Amino acid sequence: MLLRKNYRKMTGRFVLSVGILTCLALPAWALEKDLTVVTSYPKDLTTAFKQAFEKQNPGVKVEMLKKKTTAGVKYIQETASNNSSDLFWASAPDAFEVLKGDGLLAKYTVKAVGIPDLIGSYPINDPDGYYKGFAGSGYGMMWNTRYLKAKKIPAPKEWNDLAKAVYHGHTGMSAPSRSGTTHLTVETILQGEGWENGWKLLKEIGGNFHTVTERSFGVPDGVNSGQFGVGIVIDFFGLSSMASGFPVDFVYPTVTTLVPANIAIVKNSPHPEAAAAFIEFLLSEAGQEMLLDPKIRRLPVRPETYAKAPKDFPNPFIDKTIGAKVKFDVVKSKDRYNLVNSMFDVMITYRLDDLREATKAVQDAEKAMAGKSNAEAEKLVAEARALIAVLPIDENKSLDNEFSAIFKKKRKKATDKVTGRQAEVEQQWDTMVKSNYAEAIKLAKKAKSML
Amino acid sequence: MSLATRVKPVRLQIEDVHISFGSTKVLQGIDLDIEPGEFFAFLGPSGSGKSTLLRAIAGFGPRPQGRILIDNEDIISLSPWKREVGMVFQNYALWPHLTVQKNVAFGLEERKVAKAEISTRVEEALDMVGLADLADRHPSQLSGGQQQRVALARTIVIRPRLLLLDEPLSNLDANLRVQMRTDILKLQRKLGLTTIFVTHDQEEANTISDRMAVLDKGIIQQIGSPMELYDYPVNRFVAHFLGTTNMIEGEVVSVDGATVLQTQSGLKLPLDMAPDARHGAIVFRPQSVHVNPEITQTSAMNLDGTVESLEFLGSTVRYGVKVGEVTVLAEEDHQRGKPIYKKTERVQLVIPQKQVLFVTE
Amino acid sequence: MPRIRTSYLVASLLAFFLLIFLIVPVGKVIYVAFQDSSTGALTLVNFVDFFKTSLFRESFFNSLYVAGMSVLIASLIALPLAYFTSRFNFGGSILIQTLGIIPLIMPPFVGAVAMQLFFGSNGSINLLLDQWFGINIPFMKGLNGVILVESIHYFPFILINLSAALNNIDRSMEEAAQNLGSSGIRLFRKIVFPLAMPGYLAGAALVFLKAFDDLGTPLLLNVNNMLAPQAYLRISSIGISDPMGYVISVILVVFSLFALWVSMLASRGKDYSGGGKGVSGLLKRDMRGWQKAGAYCLIIFLLLLVLSPHISLVLLSFGTIWSYSVLPDAYTMAHYVEVFGTTREYITNTLLYAGLAASFDVAFSVAIAYVVLRTKVIGRQWLDYIATGALAVPGVVLGIGYLRTFNDFNVPIIDKPLASWWVIIVVALAIRRLPYALRACTAALHQVSVSLEEAAENLGAGKTATVRKIVVPLMAGGIVAGFVTSFATAAVELSATLMLVTAESDAPLAYGIYVFMQSAAGRGPGAALGLIAVVVVAFGSYLAHHFIERNKRMQATLTG
Repeated sequence: MLLRKNYRKMTGRFVLSVGILTCLALPAWALEKDLTVVTSYPKDLTTAFKQAFEKQNPGVKVEMLKKKTTAGVKYIQETASNNSSDLFWASAPDAFEVLKGDGLLAKYTVKAVGIPDLIGSYPINDPDGYYKGFAGSGYGMMWNTRYLKAKKIPAPKEWNDLAKAVYHGHTGMSAPSRSGTTHLTVETILQGEGWENGWKLLKEIGGNFHTVTERSFGVPDGVNSGQFGVGIVIDFFGLSSMASGFPVDFVYPTVTTLVPANIAIVKNSPHPEAAAAFIEFLLSEAGQEMLLDPKIRRLPVRPETYAKAPKDFPNPFIDKTIGAKVKFDVVKSKDRYNLVNSMFDVMITYRLDDLREATKAVQDAEKAMAGKSNAEAEKLVAEARALIAVLPIDENKSLDNEFSAIFKKKRKKATDKVTGRQAEVEQQWDTMVKSNYAEAIKLAKKAKSML
Repeated sequence: MSLATRVKPVRLQIEDVHISFGSTKVLQGIDLDIEPGEFFAFLGPSGSGKSTLLRAIAGFGPRPQGRILIDNEDIISLSPWKREVGMVFQNYALWPHLTVQKNVAFGLEERKVAKAEISTRVEEALDMVGLADLADRHPSQLSGGQQQRVALARTIVIRPRLLLLDEPLSNLDANLRVQMRTDILKLQRKLGLTTIFVTHDQEEANTISDRMAVLDKGIIQQIGSPMELYDYPVNRFVAHFLGTTNMIEGEVVSVDGATVLQTQSGLKLPLDMAPDARHGAIVFRPQSVHVNPEITQTSAMNLDGTVESLEFLGSTVRYGVKVGEVTVLAEEDHQRGKPIYKKTERVQLVIPQKQVLFVTE
Repeated sequence: MPRIRTSYLVASLLAFFLLIFLIVPVGKVIYVAFQDSSTGALTLVNFVDFFKTSLFRESFFNSLYVAGMSVLIASLIALPLAYFTSRFNFGGSILIQTLGIIPLIMPPFVGAVAMQLFFGSNGSINLLLDQWFGINIPFMKGLNGVILVESIHYFPFILINLSAALNNIDRSMEEAAQNLGSSGIRLFRKIVFPLAMPGYLAGAALVFLKAFDDLGTPLLLNVNNMLAPQAYLRISSIGISDPMGYVISVILVVFSLFALWVSMLASRGKDYSGGGKGVSGLLKRDMRGWQKAGAYCLIIFLLLLVLSPHISLVLLSFGTIWSYSVLPDAYTMAHYVEVFGTTREYITNTLLYAGLAASFDVAFSVAIAYVVLRTKVIGRQWLDYIATGALAVPGVVLGIGYLRTFNDFNVPIIDKPLASWWVIIVVALAIRRLPYALRACTAALHQVSVSLEEAAENLGAGKTATVRKIVVPLMAGGIVAGFVTSFATAAVELSATLMLVTAESDAPLAYGIYVFMQSAAGRGPGAALGLIAVVVVAFGSYLAHHFIERNKRMQATLTG
C-alpha cells in the first residue's frame, strides 16, 4: 500500500512537471502581437535592432525568423496562402525582385526624409515602391594574414589578382545561385567587364578556387578559420571579422558595386502598422547610427550619419570611387537572373575539379614558358585558355526572354507554355564545358612537354 | 590415410591442477592418468567442476595451475586452437550459417588441407556417422540426433589426439540416448581415440566408460572402473552418487572386545575391523540385504525391523524396513508368485559382512 | 468478434496518422517530379532527364560511394570497439561503449564544423603534419570529408547493433571453432562475424541510409556533387521551380527504400541469436600483455578519433580566436556568457519537443509492433514498412511537405496555420525518429513469449489489460532503448526543423546553434551552445533512462 501511494505521488509529480514544462514552452499563445521579420541577417545585427525598436515601441514584440535568403524566399512563397510574416529583411535586391514578381510584397511609401536616390550607382529604393534600401554594402576581398604569411602569398588588390597562379587553391567564394549578394557581384563583373571578358575573368578566378561555399557566410568563415586564404565577400563580413579580432584584412577592388540592403512589407502582413514603424525606425537617424557598430558595419543611406562614423569608415557619398565605375543595369540583371546562376553552377560550381585541373595545367605550362620563347607552345596555351573561356551562349541569347524563361518556368496559368527543359539545356552545356576543360588540359600538358 | 586407420592413441596426464574463477576455487588438486585408448568418464553432479576440467583440457576457461600432459608434452600454455584436442559441445555448437558439409570441413580448412582431400575426408566422416546424404542441409534442418552426429563428425574429421565429449547425450530423448551411446562407443573403439566423456548420469558413465572419475566440489572423489566404484566407494558421496545405497551413521565403540558402530538411538552394528576414526558410516547396497533368508549366513549382520514401505520396480521389489531409528532399504529379486512382505510385518534382515563397507569420509 | 474490430480500429488509426503526416506531405512534394513543368501533365520525362544528365549520374554515384565508404569506415571504427569490449576482460568496457554512443547526439553540422578545425586542409592536424613532415593529408577534401564526418557521426548505429549481436552469440560457437584450430582474425571472419551479421546489417543499413540522405554535412563542407545537396540546392534556389530537385527527392526516397529492403532480405532467416539451449552468456577472455597494450592503443586512437569533434568543440567554445593555428590563441568564458541569456528557451523547447516526440514514437511503436506481430489485420506489415520508410525521407522533403500540406489548415482556438504551430515541429521530429523506436519495440515484442499473454487471458484479463499489464512491462527494455534513441537524435535534428521554425521563441537548440554559428564574429558562441546541447541531451537521455528504469522497478515491486 505504502509503495502504491509513493508511486502515485511520483506519477503525480511527473505529470505536474510535464505540465509546467508545457506551459513554459507555450510561447505560441503570446505570439499574437508579434511582428514577424523573416531575415537573413546575422544575430549581431538583428538583436541590436530588435532591442532598440522594442524599447522605442513598447507593446510590440519583434520576432526575428532567421533563414538563409533563398530559404526565406521559399518560406514566404510556401506560406503565402496563409501568411504570418510581416517583413522580409535581407540584402540581395534580386530576392526581393522574385517576391515582387510573385506578388508577395506590399507597396510602401517611406515617410522619412533626407535619403538620396542613389548609393554609388545603384538606386536605393525599388522604383516600383515595393522594397526600400536601408544600408549599403560593397563587395571586396578579405584574407587571412597568417595564412598568406605562412604560404608567402601577397595580398590581392583587384579582382584580376585572384586569377594569378600564386592564388591557385587558396581562394573561396559563394555560388551566385546560393547567395543573392554573390549574384550581384557576378552580375557586376559581367556588366563591368562585359559578358565575354567578365565570364573569362570569373572562370580564371574560379579555376583557383579552393571551394565554392554553399552559403555566403561560408566564405568569411573559411577565411577566418584559415581553411583558405582569400575570400570574395561582402564588406561587413570582412570588416566585422576584423573587428572581432580575427587575423584578417579587407579591401574594396576598383570594380565593385555598392549594394543596398533592403526591407519590404510582405503582402497580407498581419501587422502592417508595426511593420511600417520598423521600416521608419531603420531609416531614422537613430536606426542609421546603429549601422556603424563594428559588429554590424553597414554603410548608412543617410549621408549625415557618416559624420559620426569612425575615421577610416568608407563614405560612398563622398568617395565616388566606391562603386562608381559600374553603372548597374537592374533590368538586365533581373531578366537573366536564373540563367546566370545556372551558367555559373554548370561551368564553375559543379565542374570545379575539372576547371581547377585545367587552370592548373595552363598555369604550369605558362610557368614553364616564362623566359623561353616557343611559338607553338604559346599557341597551344592560348588555345587552352580560349577553350576554358568558351561560353555556351552569347550575351544576346542571355537576354533573350524566351530562352531565359526556361530557367524561370513559373507557370501562372495552366495554359502557359514553355519549351525546353532546364535539365536538358544544362546537360548540353555540361557536356560542352566538360569536354572543353578536358581538351584544355590535354593542350596545356602538351605545351608543357614541348618546353 | 583413412579416418578409420588407427592412430597411436595418446596418454593424458593431469597433475595437480587447480582452477579458480576469481576467488572461487572450482577445481583443486586434480591428478589423473588416462591410459592410451581409454574411454574415460567424468561423473559428478552439476557444479562439481567436471565440465570445467574438460574445458581446461581443451584450453577454455581460466588458465589452470598445474600440468596437463599429452604423451608427456605439457599443453597447459597452448592456445585452444593449437591443442589438437577435439571437443563435442553439449549443445553441439553447430554453426547455423554453414551447411553440414561446411561445418565438418571447417577444421580441415583451418589446417589448410587440400580441397580434394577435404571433400573425401568430410564424406568419410559423415559416412561414419551415417549422414552422408544430408551434407547440404543447414543445421536448423536437422533433428537433435542428427545434429549430434554432425558435431561428432566435425570433431573426429580432424583426427584429434583426444576426443572430449561434454554431456553429449543430455539433449536427446531416452531411446535415442541409448542408441547414440552405443554408436559413440563403437566409433571410439574403431578409431582408438583416447576419449573423455562428461556426464551427470551414472548409468551413462557405467555403460560406456572403461574407467571414470567421480567429482564433487571441485575434487576428484574416486577413480576406477565403474564396478570398482560401485562396489568399493571410498566415501559417502561416491556411495550415494552411484546407485541406491544404505548408509547408517554412528560412533565407533568397543563393546565386549568387539568393535561396533553405535547409532544415535543405541543400535549397535558389528564392524569386522577396527577403524582409527571415532565416527563413520556403514554402507551396503539394498540388493545385499536378505529378507528372512532361509540359509543362515556366516559372518553377517543381523537386524530386526518392521516393513514400512514397498516399491515394485519390475525385476525387484524394494522394501523399506524400519530398524530402530533408521530405515534400511532391501531389494529382493522378483519372480512370479514369490511372496511379498506386507507393511507392518516384522522381518529379519541379514547382510553378509563382506558386502558391508565402513566409510569415514 | 469485438477483438477483431478493436485491432482493425487501432490499425486504421495508425494508418490514418501515417497517411496524413507522412504519405500525403511527401506525396505533395514528390508529385512535382512527375509533372511536365510546361504543361502540368503527368510524365516521366523528368526521370529521363535525370539519367541523361551527367551531373546527376555523377551525384548519384558520389552519394553511393560516400554511403558505401561511410559504412566501411564506420565498420572499421565500430568492429574493434564492439569486439574487444564484448570478448575480452577489458578495463573500462562500459566507458568505451558509452563514449562510443556520444557522437550520435552531436548536431551533425556542428560535427562538420568541428572536424574542419581539426582535420581540414589547414586544420590542426595538417598544420602539425606540415610542420613536422612537410606533408598535407586531404582528410576533409571533397568527398573524403563527407565520408569522415558521416562515419564518425553514425558509426554508433553499428556499434550498438553489433555489440548486442555479439553478446547474443552462444559462446560455444566460438569455442567449437577454436577447438578445431581457428583463432584471431580467421575466427572472427568465418564464425563470429557471420553470426553477428543480422545485427551488423541492421546497423550498416542505417549508416548507409543516413549517409546517403544526409544533407547538412555535404552542404557545410561545400560538396555539391551529391544527390541530397543537389535536391536541396534545386528546391531552395530563388525563383527556380526546377522539377529536378523533386526528381532527386523521389530517387533518394526510392533508393533508400530499396536499401532498406535489401538489408531486410539479407538478414532474413539469419537470426541466430539467443537459441536458448546450451551455454549462453559469455566468458570474457584475458589478453596477454602486449595484446592488451595493442588493443588499448587501438581503442584510445579510435576514441580520440570519434570524440575529436567534441574535443574540438570544447576548444572552440572556450577559445578566443582560432585561425590558421593548431590551437586557439587564448581561452575565455565570454562565449558562454553570451549564450547564457538565450539558452534557457532553446533548452526548454528542445526537451519539450524531443520528449514529446520520443514519447509519441514509443507509444506509436508499441501499437504498430503489437498490430504487426500479434494480430491478423490484413496488410498489417505495411504499417511497419511505411513507418520504417520514414527513414528514407530526407528532412527537407518532409519540412517542405508539411508547409505545403498544413499551411492552409488553421488550428481552432489558437487560430493559426498548423504549419506554423510549434506542435508541427514535434510531429515532424516524431515521424523522422519513429523508425528508431519502432525497431527497438518490435525487437522487444519479438522476445515476449505469446504464452505469457495467453496465460493472462486464460486468467480472465481482457486484451487491453493484457497489453497494459503484461506486454508493455515486458517490453520495457526495448521501450527505454527506443525512447532514448529517439529522444537523443530528435534533440539534435535540424533539417526538418529549419524549415518549420516560425518563431525564434519556438526554436529548439539545433536551430539556435545554427543561428549562432552564422556570426562573422566567430563560432565561439555557437560552439558553446553546441556543447550545452550535447550535455543537455546526454543528461536528458540519462534521466529518461533512469526514470523509466525506476518506474519499471517500481512496477516490478508492485506486481511482484
